[in-house]
Amino acid sequence: MTQDTKSSADALADTFAQWTEQWRRIAEVSVGAGEAWSNSMLPFIMTRAAEKRTGLGDELSDAIERMAQGPKLADVWDIDRKLMAAFLSWTKMRQKLAAYNANASRPWMRAMERHGAATPTEKGTEAPGWRDDFAAWSVIANEELIRNQRSEEFLQVQRELLQAGIEFRKTQTDLNETVSGLFGLPTQRDFDELSRQLTELRREVRAMARDIPQPATSLSARASEQKGDRDE
Amino acid sequence: MSDENLAARLAREFADTTAKMGKAAEMFARTRDADIDVGATPKHLVMRRDKVELYRYEPLAARKAQTPVLLAYGLIGRYTMADLQPDRSLVRSLLAEGLDLWLVDWGRPGRAERWLTIDDYVDDYIHAAVERVCRETGHDKVTLLGICEGGVFTTCYAALHPDKVKNLVLTITPIDFHADSDDPAAHHGFLNVWTRSLDGADVDDLVEAFGVLPGEFMSSVFSMMTPMRSLTKYNIDLIDVVDDEAKWKNFLRMEKWLADRPHHPGEAAKQWLKNLYQENQLVNGEFVLSGRKVDLRAISAPTLNVFALDDHIIPPTCSKALGPLIGTSDYSEFPLPGGHVGLFVSSKSQGRLSKSIAEWLAARD
Repeated sequence: MTQDTKSSADALADTFAQWTEQWRRIAEVSVGAGEAWSNSMLPFIMTRAAEKRTGLGDELSDAIERMAQGPKLADVWDIDRKLMAAFLSWTKMRQKLAAYNANASRPWMRAMERHGAATPTEKGTEAPGWRDDFAAWSVIANEELIRNQRSEEFLQVQRELLQAGIEFRKTQTDLNETVSGLFGLPTQRDFDELSRQLTELRREVRAMARDIPQPATSLSARASEQKGDRDE
Repeated sequence: MSDENLAARLAREFADTTAKMGKAAEMFARTRDADIDVGATPKHLVMRRDKVELYRYEPLAARKAQTPVLLAYGLIGRYTMADLQPDRSLVRSLLAEGLDLWLVDWGRPGRAERWLTIDDYVDDYIHAAVERVCRETGHDKVTLLGICEGGVFTTCYAALHPDKVKNLVLTITPIDFHADSDDPAAHHGFLNVWTRSLDGADVDDLVEAFGVLPGEFMSSVFSMMTPMRSLTKYNIDLIDVVDDEAKWKNFLRMEKWLADRPHHPGEAAKQWLKNLYQENQLVNGEFVLSGRKVDLRAISAPTLNVFALDDHIIPPTCSKALGPLIGTSDYSEFPLPGGHVGLFVSSKSQGRLSKSIAEWLAARD
């Protein structure tokens, strides 16, 4: 073993020892990290895994759609139909998400190509530190991501994903309202209608109040009376 | 460099990075929410109207300008950006310049505020706040200081109620919502581009489904505007701040402000995205509030228009468009280097912004 090789090996051993110690310290301060990881990362990983699939095949989707859009026989199978509609809109949203992800992955590939082409690989020159290399890659990736975001294709897939997400939300709400109705509970529509009436009533009251002449009182008296109070 | 030395260097760098990440984990573990205070400049509540509150800040210096200044932020984000920390606070700086500063805080709108419109915010909440400030101080006019969307609200108020406005100060305020196309910077104006890629019906559907423009939805749009920064701020970028307690807290204050993003009331969001961003009604003279068209030529108050030259959210071209459209002949522009948020929180702009506003107001008091 040469002297150079021996000193490199010692340096490696030292840094690995330091590295091991740091991980031990992270583990110490991250009490409950395992639970936090399982709570937060598993759904994330499952979501990502689901995105990799192509979703349900068209045949099955079409069958469910036919079921969801079948004849409405009074309230027979109403909840079943709404469940199907919610499931169908969910699968459509997943398909739109897959299309979005396919588009959103392109700038990363372009960034890798550009960065690879720009990185000097000459022998004898010192390789840049990882921070410098990452900073250079980051600038390129940022440019490519921004360029992609402004493309017609990206804006279109993003819009379709938004529309699919809204549609899914609507079917969820529809289902929730049906279930709420079964138990005699007020629904989101009831709440919206109530808040609409309250907002309009408040406008009318305030418009009338503005038309009523205010009694003359001293500034300081009114100020002390109303400090911090509601002003209706 | 030999392969052995390169390997040793890479291992050392990796170990150093791991050490810093470990330190970041320690700092996260010992930092409590209460340690990160934003919007902390002392103030007292004067009036509450629904969820909207009117505050008066405690003075920090002898009064140099008599006219009260009413600060209005927008409905996207909260006013705390103007008072992020003691040494980076527009609010504190203006108080130190001897201004009588008031704040209208919109609170945290939710689904119960679904039906509120910009008409309500301008002709009811701001109007009630202006009247209350006048009543408390004995003035018949106030100075309005609008930030971002709040700048649009105060611009509309100054056009509809010119008799109540002594001076108008606008910061990072969009006026021409289509002028992003005149800005050559590729990273400016994605919000304008994105909004125009939607149909009006998409906005209606979004509000119908959620009742509001969800705060977390707007956060994701803003994150997209600085994609790499959004991806690296909780990992790579932490390495640069863990050795400096002040930098660490600055980072967390900014994150706290970013996370505090209430929902935008639904009907007001329709007006904001459709009437203004998509149809550009303010510039075209077609924007109607409470049955009256907002005519920018009706603004008679002296106006100071402050914008950031590298504002990626409100491109400077969108703000500068006010100049030729406004009624007053006393119109000034004050461009500053920096970005949308940096204008208020960067160490470079700290004195310059408040001093310029205070001097401009003192000359017109």
